[in-house]
Amino acid sequence: MATIAGTGRTGVAVGSRRRRMPRGIIRFVTLSLLAMIFLAPIYWMATTSVKSESDTIARPVQWIPEEPTLENYRAIFASPNATFLRWTWNSLFTSVAFSLLSVALGVLTAYPLARMRFPGRQTWFWILLGSMMVPGIIFLIPHYLMMIQLNWIDTYNALIWPGVPGAFGVFLMRQFLVSVPLELEEAARLDGANSLQILVYVLVPFLIAPMAALGLFNFMAAWNNYVWPLFVVHGDMQTLPVAITTFSSRYWTTYGKLMAGTAIASIPVLIAFLVAQPYFIRGMSLTGLKDE
Amino acid sequence: MISTRARRPPLLRLDDSNPLVPYLYLLPQALLFLAFVVFPIAFGIYVSLHRWNILSDRQTFVGLDYYTAIFTAGTPQAQFFWKTMLNTGFFVAVSVPLLIGCALGLALLLEKPIAGRGFFRTVFFLPTILAVSIMGLLWRWMFENGSGLINVVLERIPFLNTVPFLTTVGWAWVPIIVGTVWWTVGFNMVLYSAALAGIPRAYYDAAQLDGAGTFATFRFVTWPMLAPVTLFAAITTTIASFQVFGQPHVITNGGPLRSTQSVMMYITEEAFTNFRFSSAAAMSMVFGLALLVIAAFQFRLMLQDTGRGNS
Repeated sequence: MATIAGTGRTGVAVGSRRRRMPRGIIRFVTLSLLAMIFLAPIYWMATTSVKSESDTIARPVQWIPEEPTLENYRAIFASPNATFLRWTWNSLFTSVAFSLLSVALGVLTAYPLARMRFPGRQTWFWILLGSMMVPGIIFLIPHYLMMIQLNWIDTYNALIWPGVPGAFGVFLMRQFLVSVPLELEEAARLDGANSLQILVYVLVPFLIAPMAALGLFNFMAAWNNYVWPLFVVHGDMQTLPVAITTFSSRYWTTYGKLMAGTAIASIPVLIAFLVAQPYFIRGMSLTGLKDE
Repeated sequence: MISTRARRPPLLRLDDSNPLVPYLYLLPQALLFLAFVVFPIAFGIYVSLHRWNILSDRQTFVGLDYYTAIFTAGTPQAQFFWKTMLNTGFFVAVSVPLLIGCALGLALLLEKPIAGRGFFRTVFFLPTILAVSIMGLLWRWMFENGSGLINVVLERIPFLNTVPFLTTVGWAWVPIIVGTVWWTVGFNMVLYSAALAGIPRAYYDAAQLDGAGTFATFRFVTWPMLAPVTLFAAITTTIASFQVFGQPHVITNGGPLRSTQSVMMYITEEAFTNFRFSSAAAMSMVFGLALLVIAAFQFRLMLQDTGRGNS
């Protein structure tokens, strides 16, 4: 480090070009090594899943599977206790429902908070904002006992509703609604539009991008949720990522099948991410770093 | 329309002039908010003050018994609550600096244009989209005592021995912490990348004119300019790390000998394995309040520090 900084000091226009080369190469090699380390677990998962069980623990280790086989995948789909399609559907349905509901409620609630004047507006906004500070652990036990009272254990309702009124979406949508010019709203009102029409036809078109970003993040959060589904739904009602661990540890103790299950649960998400990647990171800066 | 408005009192009007209109928009979320946010907080306190039995209709009031148990030496609750609290504290103390430092390092490596920059950024961010259970299974297999990739590599290096990571007190933290860094460092990296892009070029030009080297430029330009992001990342990472659950649950299941059990794991064990919901609710309150205090403390620090940075 010191030598690099030292050579940097000699910088004149001619020298700077020659100097940049090795530094760029060091940086590129470092990044490549790091990328390999980052991809290693995923590569190891993919190759393990297509090895026979004896090959997964064979010595010398097989960096490239010598006799690739889909036997592990066949075995876990044939396994009587594994209902992959059902788990996938559970995850898909509840994550989509949760995401749509919380985006819709976020917009609906943010609307009067951002664009109307009425008594209690500030107070309610601060109450919602303050609720975001409360750590999730506070809710776990009371929510679970409420699910028992409501007979919602092992239902989609338990997976969907408790998280829907979270204030993050309200807060985010309000931030964007505040920035829409008032003139547009007034013009629509002069044309005889009522408040609901103004929301749907004037304001929502401005919110499409943040709504999509919020929807995506809600979906991911619900899909990847672990603690809550682990305790509140079981068996056939389990969500895919949780079922992979609970069922796999019980029925497929060998790593070939375990990694096949892991691949099934993660590869669709990885592909979806790679396809949507440009929007994804932009969406992230949209939700997380609006003021930056 | 004008005639209706003139005849009816304001609260019965059927258009936007009715003062109840804003509340109508708030109503759906407000009802759910009361049911699933406000009520559970009160209900949680109520449960923690009773001996809650899910099979019974009448619950016995016990006052602060479950709270005093947490603070009375000798009860199993106190023993395990504080043991797992220490475990969690250790995890936070190691993982938070790593998650800040590595994220900043990656962001700095990617700051200037380089061949394949988009690819590298995608690769480092990729693990963050995986579910914690997937990440846990991956790293459990990587650090598997016999045939895990890490031990396969260790085996080949002279003078190094394989380590039974998953079943050795102390070493068991390694897969959890390495896995966590791999899994979440991408978030902070994106935060830092955005912040680095926002530092005005003029600052670097000025530093160069003053003859500042690479390190001095980082120390006196980049680092102070990043202070707000560092503090934001430190707060969110600390709060998230204190609530660690999935990684130890999947990788070590809290073992060996509860040495990697987090406080969240112990609370769920008390509730869902021992069926002592009231005790678990009391612990949730104590732990939740501690988290709130940390958040408030860090928030204050953040205000002070960014204030100093501006002046």
